[in-house]
Amino acid sequence: MVKKSLSISAFICATALSAQSFATEVNAARAKFNYQMLCQGCHTPDGSGFKDVPKIKDYIGNFLVTPEGRDYLVRVPGSANSALNDEELAEVLNWIIVEMGGESVPNNMKQYTAKEVSQLRKHALFEVVDYRKMLVSKLPLAKK
Amino acid sequence: MKFIDRFFEKKARSVAQTNGRRGFMKGVGAALVGASSIPLLPVARAADAPALPQEAGDPSSCDYWRYCTVDGFLCDCCGGSYNTCPPGTEMSPITWIGTCRNPVDGRNYVISYNDCCGKTQCGTCLCQRDEGDRPLYRSDKSNDVNWCLGASSSVYHCSTAIVVGVAFEQGDK
Repeated sequence: MVKKSLSISAFICATALSAQSFATEVNAARAKFNYQMLCQGCHTPDGSGFKDVPKIKDYIGNFLVTPEGRDYLVRVPGSANSALNDEELAEVLNWIIVEMGGESVPNNMKQYTAKEVSQLRKHALFEVVDYRKMLVSKLPLAKK
Repeated sequence: MKFIDRFFEKKARSVAQTNGRRGFMKGVGAALVGASSIPLLPVARAADAPALPQEAGDPSSCDYWRYCTVDGFLCDCCGGSYNTCPPGTEMSPITWIGTCRNPVDGRNYVISYNDCCGKTQCGTCLCQRDEGDRPLYRSDKSNDVNWCLGASSSVYHCSTAIVVGVAFEQGDK
């Protein structure tokens, strides 16, 4: 009986986790490939970053807690000016956040949509370094 | 109960006479080291590791399939291999990435062309195939960039060609 309850709990947890992971349609293989081809070269395979290349791993979710931070992840030149279309960009961003964000990702994370990405990338940032510093200084959870 | 006491006493004395404390510590140490190495075994990493392609061709030749977008000296001719840097050099963690088709299985693989840095140019096996190379304004897709800027020394020595994944093809699920 206990075993059965545990199995049912495990199933419910697994279902809940998978539902939380990707609420919208994400092709993980395609997203990973796009990350490898367009992001990994600088951000490194696990998103650790290097020297002046910002860290994604266990950090990127911090940007999602403010509207400006959320917009920034699309407006940053590597996203906004990438060769990906809106659907693919939204997909790879959602994949990166879930795969690499770790505990930095808020529980109520709202996934990017192609429509949202389409609007935001029209306002690509030109100057990034100082803008990022300003954003990070306002993030409540970020390690400055 | 006495029987149990006597049994364990006898066994304990027997062990103490035949095995030293150092031997016990050695055993514990070996077990700990062994246990710590388990996560490094290929079985544990297989879930996230790229499918290793079947190999064909000469890794010291420019025609080798992994070098389809290379521009530089092949580390395989410089004391390293297509996967490793020669001794005395450091692999740059930032790199440029392309795809090449493996003639054996017909699949496209994602190749990371990590440069090896810290010694003067190797000077042998210069290859420039440039498939998929883009102008410098697409710096993430240009092999003209000195990727050693990401290493502690920006002096370029040679290039590797490491398979990091299988390319996504339209129609894949």
